Amino acid sequence: MARGKTYPVTRKRKVAESEFPNQKKKPLNKKETEKNSKSDITNNAKTLSNKKHDVSSKHEKIAGNQIKGHYKYNRNRYQIVNTLGRFDDEDLEEDDDEQSGLWGDENDSDYIAGDSLEDMTRQQKWQPPNTVGNIPMEWYDDYPHIGYDIDGKIIMKPAKGDELDEFLDKMEDPDYWISVKDNLTQQNVKLTDEELDIIRRIQMHEIPDANYNPYEPMVEWFTSKPEVMPLSAAPEPKRRFVPSKWEAKRIMKIVRGIREGRIITRKTQVQKPRFYNLWADSDQPRQDHPMHIPAPKMKLPEHDESYNPPAEYLPTDKEKEEWEQMDSEDREKNYLPQKYSSLRAVPAYGRFIHEHFNRCLDLYLAPRIRRNKLNIDPESLIPKLPNPKDLQPFPTTLTFSYTGHTARIRCFSIDPLGLWLVSGSDDQTIRVWEITTGRCVYTWTVGDIVHSIAWCPNKDVCGFFAAFSNKVAFISPFKLCDEEMYVVTNRYVTAGHNQIQKDDKKKSAHWSQPTEQEKELGYLVILDHSHSKTVKQVTWHRKGDYFATLAPDAGNQGILIHQLTKHQTQQPFRKIKGLIQRVMFHPIKPLFFVATQRYIRIYNLIKQEATKTLQAGVKWISSLDVHPLGDNIIIGSYDKRLCWFDLDLSSRPYKTLRYHSMAIRSVSYHKRFPLFASCSDDGSIQIFHGMVYNDLLQNPLIVPVKILKGGHKVVDSLGVLHCEFHPTQPWIISSGADHQINLWT
Amino acid sequence: MEPDIENEPQIQVKFVTQQRKYAVADSAILVPAKLRRYGLSEIINHLLGYEKPIPFDFLVDGEFLRTSLSEYLQNARLSTENIITLEYVESMLPPTSLSAYQHDDWVSSVKGHDQGYFLTGSYDNNVRIWNASGECLQTFVGHNAPIKSVAWVSIQDEDIICLSASQDRTIRAWHSSIADKQCDVLYEYRGHKGSIESISISKQEELFSSGSWDSSIRIWTTTTTPDDEDGSDYEFIENEKKRRKISKKKTNSIIAKKSIGILMGHVGPVSSVFFDTKDSAKLYSGGWDYSIRTWDIESRTNVDTKNCDQVVYDIAYSEKSGLIASGHADRAVRLWDPRAEDVAVVKLSLVSHQNWVSAVSWSKNSPFMLASASYDSCVKMWDIRSKSPLYNLRVSDDTNESRKKLLCIDWSKDLILSGGEDNRLHIHSAKKFENPYTKESP
Repeated sequence: MARGKTYPVTRKRKVAESEFPNQKKKPLNKKETEKNSKSDITNNAKTLSNKKHDVSSKHEKIAGNQIKGHYKYNRNRYQIVNTLGRFDDEDLEEDDDEQSGLWGDENDSDYIAGDSLEDMTRQQKWQPPNTVGNIPMEWYDDYPHIGYDIDGKIIMKPAKGDELDEFLDKMEDPDYWISVKDNLTQQNVKLTDEELDIIRRIQMHEIPDANYNPYEPMVEWFTSKPEVMPLSAAPEPKRRFVPSKWEAKRIMKIVRGIREGRIITRKTQVQKPRFYNLWADSDQPRQDHPMHIPAPKMKLPEHDESYNPPAEYLPTDKEKEEWEQMDSEDREKNYLPQKYSSLRAVPAYGRFIHEHFNRCLDLYLAPRIRRNKLNIDPESLIPKLPNPKDLQPFPTTLTFSYTGHTARIRCFSIDPLGLWLVSGSDDQTIRVWEITTGRCVYTWTVGDIVHSIAWCPNKDVCGFFAAFSNKVAFISPFKLCDEEMYVVTNRYVTAGHNQIQKDDKKKSAHWSQPTEQEKELGYLVILDHSHSKTVKQVTWHRKGDYFATLAPDAGNQGILIHQLTKHQTQQPFRKIKGLIQRVMFHPIKPLFFVATQRYIRIYNLIKQEATKTLQAGVKWISSLDVHPLGDNIIIGSYDKRLCWFDLDLSSRPYKTLRYHSMAIRSVSYHKRFPLFASCSDDGSIQIFHGMVYNDLLQNPLIVPVKILKGGHKVVDSLGVLHCEFHPTQPWIISSGADHQINLWT
Repeated sequence: MEPDIENEPQIQVKFVTQQRKYAVADSAILVPAKLRRYGLSEIINHLLGYEKPIPFDFLVDGEFLRTSLSEYLQNARLSTENIITLEYVESMLPPTSLSAYQHDDWVSSVKGHDQGYFLTGSYDNNVRIWNASGECLQTFVGHNAPIKSVAWVSIQDEDIICLSASQDRTIRAWHSSIADKQCDVLYEYRGHKGSIESISISKQEELFSSGSWDSSIRIWTTTTTPDDEDGSDYEFIENEKKRRKISKKKTNSIIAKKSIGILMGHVGPVSSVFFDTKDSAKLYSGGWDYSIRTWDIESRTNVDTKNCDQVVYDIAYSEKSGLIASGHADRAVRLWDPRAEDVAVVKLSLVSHQNWVSAVSWSKNSPFMLASASYDSCVKMWDIRSKSPLYNLRVSDDTNESRKKLLCIDWSKDLILSGGEDNRLHIHSAKKFENPYTKESP
């Protein structure tokens, strides 16, 4: 393989070499022929065939990359050429020989001289070329021959001189140092000048071939210079001059992206100087920064730190003792003044390292950063409420009690002038009291628990409705009113009597005239509900004609609206959702409030539609009251909450007050003063200042002003059951489970 | 003892008095600091040269001296070197309870008479006349509702004419002669539309006024006038029983009288009216509208209005001091000067009661003495020179935990009459010390 690969190289070389030696060696050939022709014609002829064979053997050597052999081959080949030339070109090139002999005379003479001498020694030792090839020659160490010539004859080992010969050669032969042993022939071969030159070049790291020029001029196959004449004479196409549509599209896409903000262009970078003066402003005074904290300063030494302090600074023995007994943290100064006779006598300062360490701690632990701590006074977060003293008058103390009932008092009502009080109790009586003295004026026994009672708001009419079992009766305490009023009341209430007959039995309520006995007592009309459920509430419309009754258990007929003068009954709701707790008329508008367990629904009675639903966020509403101006309502709940709703504001409570510790039973607004109150099972009544402003922008002001305690005892975990403000005075009246009604002023 | 006196601190005091007859030289005198009222009183008596000593009370800075002088100085943190001005007044004897007349029901109104008769109105609708020995001389039955106010008109030789106002909106004039135990109704005054809370008779005893819950004040006469009509038209009342009653009344021929004047101005119930005892053309009234008004009877106009911030329950005018006292719902007794027209300021506010002050009454003998009754069942005697009460009379038994309300009070002559929820008329004697020297002088 290696042989085949190198073969073309050798051939090429042969070609290259065959060119120039011919000219150069021609004169040599001539001389050689002249020289050889005399003595060695036969020898030459005899060796001709050998030489010709030698060529191929030399080829073999070169294939083995033995550089030495290669050059030897060259030499041999010269010889071959010489011998061949002698025979082939002798006649033809006779003229040339003569011409060439002119320039190469002197050189040739030297050369010939040397050459011939060498040739002589060579010819003595000449051997046929060995054909064993590139094998380790040690294989032939044990044989007398070293290989075979081209004819297969053994080539004998040349005679090998001993050490002495070697030494002599070294001493005598001037070419010894430039001769090398040919391994194939086992003979010393002298290197030629070219070979030496090659060796030298290799040693000098140069290209071995002396004739190789690495800096030949480059042939530019593809040139950068424009041709003078273009290859194509076609005119420039139009698209070279028209702006690119595609580019425009791409640009517009980017522009759109920038406009829409999808693409954020890089800001033009401010060229920063590569180097700048770090300390350029260091000599200027630092700006006053609010966050700047200077490093703590060291205390300056005082007089008593002197080595020779005045006598008054020196501590007495007692002081010294005290100082030593003190805890080091408690000491005012951490040293004792000491006196030395001279500065020389002052010893090294013992606390130096300690103090400097502390100073370092000071510097490094000193707060270099101001923490932004929220320094808010919690007091300031409390809303500024006016002092309750400025909000007087409001009830503050228990004045007296109205005693007489023998069971819990669920309800009472005050006449619109504020002179009389009517109360209904579980002892099945209704009593009328004189408010200022606490005198019981009237007592009726009705035969059932009185659940609700309501004085007629019409000032011309003297009387009230009382609800017991499924009945509602209008009772007039005629002693309290003058004759005229009595007549008016009588006419007012009984005017509808003649309409009663027309009513068919399917009506939800039956109006009936009281018996004579009942008339004696003051009953004017009795309303029987067709359902048998207890009527829990009766409430008036402000004009005193319409009133509503509530029987929560009676299903659809739970809420009924009646007209007193016409003795008519309407059923406003076909279907009732939820358990109704309380109903109420709006004081001004034709609205109707219905409080269910969790919601308050407001209905417009004229339009006959629901206008609003208020969500109280409480679990069980117990009571409801509407502000006399009608824009605010309060509710109390069994889960201790009192909610104030501003109807203009939201359907959620404007304020939720949770001050009671037990369920709230009743809430009430004052009709004239900005007061409202709640009473609870914990036996207390809480009075609040609740100012409603005409200005729509100003929210109501709610201030708790007073807790009225101690008036009612808690009986069977029931405390105050009902509370109501006096219509004209800042007094509140409350009734409780302890059979008492209390007046607070 | 002698050296002790020398060592004891002495104080310079100056004695002053508003009663000229007891005046002493107003130079400062050194007195021992440990002296109490009694000692100081002895000094005054000594200075006046009285052999029978008259007890005096001493006022320092508007307060009665109830401790020794040194203790007072200590409490007030005053130096003993100051000159102390002591005002001395005739000592009021501590009131003593004389008797209590049992009624059937609450006593709502009481008036005493100099001749020793007491007129009471009660919640049992009856008016009674008592004498000083506790006998009920006369009972007037006729009202249909509790009596709220009573007044004497005249007593002439056991012929008694008196007035009673009731919650049934009528006032009746009764005539009674104690001798034959006869009583009849002279007139029935009708016109009010609400309960009549108070009546007051003028000095001439011809006119009287009434204040009612219908917020009006009406003026009536006690004499017969031509436009009086007898009987009444109760026809509109369907009640047969009542009609029977009315017909019975008709047989009695009660003369129904109408008011000769009406004073409108109060915006709430009128709780009290009081005629000026000097000038019968002047009437004072107090009401639930927090005002005390002065009326001119002749022109029927509201001359002056003084406002406070509490409901007025009762007013009383004192001829001697010219002041109006009023009882209020905020437990205070306030004093007003009706002559001060420009300002409606309260001259003095006496706070000591623990509940509503339901009634006030001036002493007729003294310009300074005042009694008030309250719902806390206390009668308090005040000397208006001092802000604290002079005496405190607990009327009802303390055993009862709920205190009985007192509804009325009258200070007539030496007696304080009070009545209330406990159904009794309490009589206390409230005398000054009998002065042997002043008796001779007038």
